[in-house]
Amino acid sequence: MSCEKYSGWMTDAAIGELRAGREPELLSHAMECEPCREALSHAMRVRELVERGVESLVEGEPSPQFVAHLRRHIAQGPRPVEFYWARWALVAPGALALALLLILVIGRMPRYNGPSPITSRLKPSPSSPGVAAAPDATRLNARASVSGRASERLPHAHKATAGLPHIIVPEGQLIAAARLSEAINSGRVDGTQLVVTQRDADKPLEVNPIEITPLDPPPTPDDEEKPAASTEF
Amino acid sequence: MDALAASLSKSAVSHDESLEREFEQRLADCPKLAYRVALGVLHNAAEAEDVAQEAMLRAYRSFNRLRERERFRAWLVRLTFRLALDRVRSKGRRERHERAAMEERCETSIEHLVTSREFERQVARALDELPEKLRIVMVLAAIEGYNTREVANLAGLPEGTVKSRLFLARKKLAESLQCLVKNIPVG
Repeated sequence: MSCEKYSGWMTDAAIGELRAGREPELLSHAMECEPCREALSHAMRVRELVERGVESLVEGEPSPQFVAHLRRHIAQGPRPVEFYWARWALVAPGALALALLLILVIGRMPRYNGPSPITSRLKPSPSSPGVAAAPDATRLNARASVSGRASERLPHAHKATAGLPHIIVPEGQLIAAARLSEAINSGRVDGTQLVVTQRDADKPLEVNPIEITPLDPPPTPDDEEKPAASTEF
Repeated sequence: MDALAASLSKSAVSHDESLEREFEQRLADCPKLAYRVALGVLHNAAEAEDVAQEAMLRAYRSFNRLRERERFRAWLVRLTFRLALDRVRSKGRRERHERAAMEERCETSIEHLVTSREFERQVARALDELPEKLRIVMVLAAIEGYNTREVANLAGLPEGTVKSRLFLARKKLAESLQCLVKNIPVG
């Protein structure tokens, strides 16, 4: 029974693949069992034969003239292929065709005729010196330079602000800014007051102590009103 | 314009020089590797040298994309193996017939056996009967002292695959060479 167990191990030993932990067990069994000892010996000889046999087949050195012959062949033959140039030579026509295709596609695309990004321009307001002296954010002039729908709402804005720097402003904010500017220019809103308010808003908050007034004393039972009977059956 | 041409020419020369220098480094160890791989397939020194020459020459011509040492060695091994196999196939029926006729019985000890010409023939025949993918692994393992990691690098295979192929190759070789061992007295 145990010999059957070891027969597979013999094969592993023959091809040099016996697990390290199994070797002592196999050897001790082989010491006691004559047939297994012979089988193991045979397996080890096969292993030696295989390894030494194949090693003997690949043993050897090329002749001393090997390198000299090789150099002569190299000198006679073509030089190494310039790999990078060769690769570019293959890739370049494809890249050129792709570039031409892109140019054609982009050239045929319909142009966008909608409104351009809505812009406003900064311009110091001559009619509001307080505003002109204020920080940039408060000197927003709503004579906006716009195109498309926004310019329709403010027809004279474009001419009036030509040559001034543009600021891209969301549409809703532009209209609000334009209205504020109109209000400042017409005197309906005091620009200086706005700046002062803004500065006040930047100041740190003052924390006042909380005043706690004592509660009134609880009412006596006589003062309590009896709740009316809510339900009658 | 002349300056540009001179600069291009100079860079081409320096490129060629560095290429030559690197190839010289490969010449230090790779011919032996190519020769042994070819020998493992052809079992003939003159033919193995011929195939190794051809493999090295091809390697030189493609050296621009094989400058990394390990990649170069792996590529060279595979190329040599294929060239050697092609050479075996082109040899034709005559050789195989001769080889089959040379069956003699073995010597009396392992030492005698492994050094005998006949044993070499038997092993060579057993090796030739292996499938190609097992054969290259076995040949490389014998060249590299059965270092599976190195064999994996050279064959371009995962180490686990090399181990399993080596296992199969040894098993088949052992089966083929069993008859030789049976005739050797134990001890």
